[in-house]
Amino acid sequence: MIQLENVSRVFAVGDQQVAALRGIDLNIAAGDYVSIMGPSGSGKSTLLNLIGLLDRPSSGTYRLDGGNVTDLDDVQQARVRSKKIGFVFQAFHLVPRLTAATNIELPLILAGIPAAERKARVAQLLENYGLADRADHRPDQLSGGQRQRVAIARATSMHPAVLLADEPTGNLDQATGKEVMNLLEQLVAQQVTLIIVTHDPAIGGRAQRQLHMVDGQIINQTGSAVNT
Amino acid sequence: MRLIDVVQFASGSLRGSRVRTLLMILAMSIGVAAVVVLTGLGEGARRYVINQFSSLGTNLVIVLPGRTETAGIGPGMLLGQIPRELTLDDAQALLRSRAIGRIAPLTIGSSQISHEARNREVVVLGSTANLLEIRHMNLGQGQFLPAGDIRSSESVCVLGAKIKHELFGQQPSIGAWVRLGDRRFRVVGIMAAQGESMGFNTDELVIIPVASAHMLFNTSGLFRILVEAKSRDAIEQAKRDAEQILQVRHHGERDVTVIRQDAVLATFDRILHALTLAVGGIAAISLAVAGILIMNVMLITVSQRVREIGLLKALGAPAAQIKNLFFAEAILLSGVGSVAGLALGEIGVRMIGQIYPSLPVAAPWWAVLAALGTSFGTGILFSVWPARRAARLDPVMALARS
Amino acid sequence: MLFPDLIHLTTSSFVAYRLRSFLTGLGIAIGITAVILLTSIGEGLRQFVLAEFSQFGTNIINIQPGRTQTHGANVGIFGSVKTISIEDAQALRHLPNIEYVDPSMMGNAEVRFNGRTRRTMVHGHGHEMPNIFSMKVQTGSFLPDDDPIQPRALVVLGSKVSQELFAGQNPLGSYLRVGGQRYRVVGVMEPKGQILGFDLDDTVFIPAARALELFNRPGLMEIHVSYKANVELQSVVNSITALLKERHGREDFTLVPQEKALEVLGSVLDVITFAVGALGGISLLVGGVGILTIMTMAVTERTSEIGLLRALGARERQVLMLFLGEAMLLSALGGLAGLLLGAGIAQALHLMFPALPVHTPWLFAALAELSAITIGLAAGVTPAIRAARLDPVEALRAE
Repeated sequence: MIQLENVSRVFAVGDQQVAALRGIDLNIAAGDYVSIMGPSGSGKSTLLNLIGLLDRPSSGTYRLDGGNVTDLDDVQQARVRSKKIGFVFQAFHLVPRLTAATNIELPLILAGIPAAERKARVAQLLENYGLADRADHRPDQLSGGQRQRVAIARATSMHPAVLLADEPTGNLDQATGKEVMNLLEQLVAQQVTLIIVTHDPAIGGRAQRQLHMVDGQIINQTGSAVNT
Repeated sequence: MRLIDVVQFASGSLRGSRVRTLLMILAMSIGVAAVVVLTGLGEGARRYVINQFSSLGTNLVIVLPGRTETAGIGPGMLLGQIPRELTLDDAQALLRSRAIGRIAPLTIGSSQISHEARNREVVVLGSTANLLEIRHMNLGQGQFLPAGDIRSSESVCVLGAKIKHELFGQQPSIGAWVRLGDRRFRVVGIMAAQGESMGFNTDELVIIPVASAHMLFNTSGLFRILVEAKSRDAIEQAKRDAEQILQVRHHGERDVTVIRQDAVLATFDRILHALTLAVGGIAAISLAVAGILIMNVMLITVSQRVREIGLLKALGAPAAQIKNLFFAEAILLSGVGSVAGLALGEIGVRMIGQIYPSLPVAAPWWAVLAALGTSFGTGILFSVWPARRAARLDPVMALARS
Repeated sequence: MLFPDLIHLTTSSFVAYRLRSFLTGLGIAIGITAVILLTSIGEGLRQFVLAEFSQFGTNIINIQPGRTQTHGANVGIFGSVKTISIEDAQALRHLPNIEYVDPSMMGNAEVRFNGRTRRTMVHGHGHEMPNIFSMKVQTGSFLPDDDPIQPRALVVLGSKVSQELFAGQNPLGSYLRVGGQRYRVVGVMEPKGQILGFDLDDTVFIPAARALELFNRPGLMEIHVSYKANVELQSVVNSITALLKERHGREDFTLVPQEKALEVLGSVLDVITFAVGALGGISLLVGGVGILTIMTMAVTERTSEIGLLRALGARERQVLMLFLGEAMLLSALGGLAGLLLGAGIAQALHLMFPALPVHTPWLFAALAELSAITIGLAAGVTPAIRAARLDPVEALRAE
């Protein structure tokens, strides 16, 4: 599903070149559940952004679903993101002025899906995530857990093959965090590839496969790929 | 908090968001510059007209034949014909008034002028020697009409600069003979080139003695009589005397119109002043728009800086001080904007001055003051609401919001 | 993204930031109001002035003595050596396509009746004057078709003169003195009112030849000629010019077709209306700067939202469209409000001061709205491009 070969990412900070990723080789199969752990600055978010096609590697190749996506232009990147990738963020990133339903609908709107079909999908998602009675609430009228559920519903609305979650429980209390993790793990059961970035070992430990990063390199893998 | 600190704090936060600050200054300065340039133009036109009028003579009273019941300068008075004409005797009779210094009778017509093979149509002005000084005209070379008996119809003429050029080119013309209609005239002088002035251009004029003009056009009437009062204070007396003398001479009929040139001037002055005000006022609308912009941005700033305001309150800033901080920002904005606008407007006015050198463009001081006042006024007025909003924020809530 | 969704998304931010959107739109609205109000007054005046002139009909040519020089007024009216005569007018009657010919002379004299005197305008005319200028006789008739050279001493009174001198009595058949000579009243004109400063009611009409004699003038001030409506102006001008040239031996007269004069006047007034509108446009410009400022701030404020949209698969173009749409919506709504406000104030002014002619030209209204939208578009471009170019990773990190 995801194949990274000798991928590096170098940032220019002032006059200096800072390597955020150094020669990463990584294979993730469809339906894998992977966690990426490491201290802050270790490159885990950069890796996630690269996989999510929000960024491009400085060198190396990235294959997604068998196709080379290393050098896609902006429009092509956007199309792939729209179709294959879902994002869940630590800070939820809901548009404050839109209702929960419209926030979930956003990817469908951007993809140009007709209104009738959208309505049906959004209604189903609201139902699935227990948000049916919150459809017309704005984000500031929702609890933290509800907000993250809206975000997950939004991330899955286009039925992506890959779901990328960056510290999804970082802004939540423990009980709500657990609830959110259960929701994400249910998706794995539906053959969605789930990649979670976290610094919390308790969260990261739940994944079948765990990557540990330091200084832009994967130093240790525990667990193994279920299907290769 | 000392004033200098307030100003520094405010300018610091303005520098913090440079683009928006520049844009607000731009908006304000467009308004101020528009007011300065437009009032400058209006004032320029006003001064131009006044200059032109005063260059036409001072302490002037003009006598025109004809009169209508309705006051004012009706077209009938200027164009119409009347059964009883103003005559040279009428003109001379005016000199009996002690308030009247000099007079110049005028008669006007058009004729063909020719010299050797060249000829053209010209406006012929019949008058006397006094015209030169009463109308503040400038002689280029030679002499003006000879002084002496108003009735002597000497065959001499004074040419306008352009007429001279067209008939004679570079050749000397003083002493030469030209033909006007069916009579011959000797050229005694050339007017200095002058250009257009109030629609009356001496460059294309030929001036001959009034009695000669009467013979040429076969009339005896005058187009008007220019009367110069002895002093500024004597103008009204001269006007009354002229009316009275002519009424007696015309068997008790008041069939002439006497106007003071300064009355005409005052009318023009009023009209152009009102026009300048109106144009400046229209431009000032844009200052109000700029003021609304400042208010809008300040309101947004207040909601963006909620935490900062909460912090200031927590650090012991009273509401009044926070209000002052926002006022200081508004005043700085409109201040810099106005100064930039003034500079911009001044450049605009200078440029217009370069393009039209004859137009004395300059923004009047009252317009500059009004523009500055309006821009400061709107700046402060429109920041009252945002400043009060900021001052009333609850510190606990403000700090809690992220 | 579908178009209705674009509208939905842009309006959602418009509604969410109600106050600032209102104030931004207000800036544009004030500008448009100024433009509409000023052009309404300008256009009203233009139509008023043109109507005043064209009520006389437009197929009229005025013939004046003297040749017009390169610029300035025609000097012939100052009583020049050249004249156009009543005989010239008579000759013009024989030209083809000419409908009416009216020799005219104007002056100022005292009119006396029964001890009352009044100084008024005295117009010398031919018998066809009412036909040319669509003037109507109230009682009696206009000057008859007399011998043009030696007409009888008949006079037609303007309504005001009739009122002043006869105070309600029937003046027909009475004799009054015009500049000392006795004239018999044959008619009274309908009131016409003031036309651009000329009070046409404070007038008496006498035969042109008698006016020449009264004012001791050798020639006419003007001949008015009306031609058939379906004839081309230039051919009439040519035939008149040819005839008078033949009679005078040279071209010492000037033809001023009413149509041309109206065209010139109309275009001058157009320019004035446009200039006045442009003055109001300064406010519109400032309003545009307002949109630019607010949109710039909005991009900064909503950076993380932009990042999110990009993460959700929005292309640069889509982000660009969203922000451009917002700027245009702001200015379009502001412009619409300004249109209504401007036209409303213009109408209110008209109600308060009925003398002030007001007309909101739809072309200007459409142009103003269009320019408002254009200004919104122009002001929105820079911020929208900035929004679209934001790096999604950076944008997501912003808070």
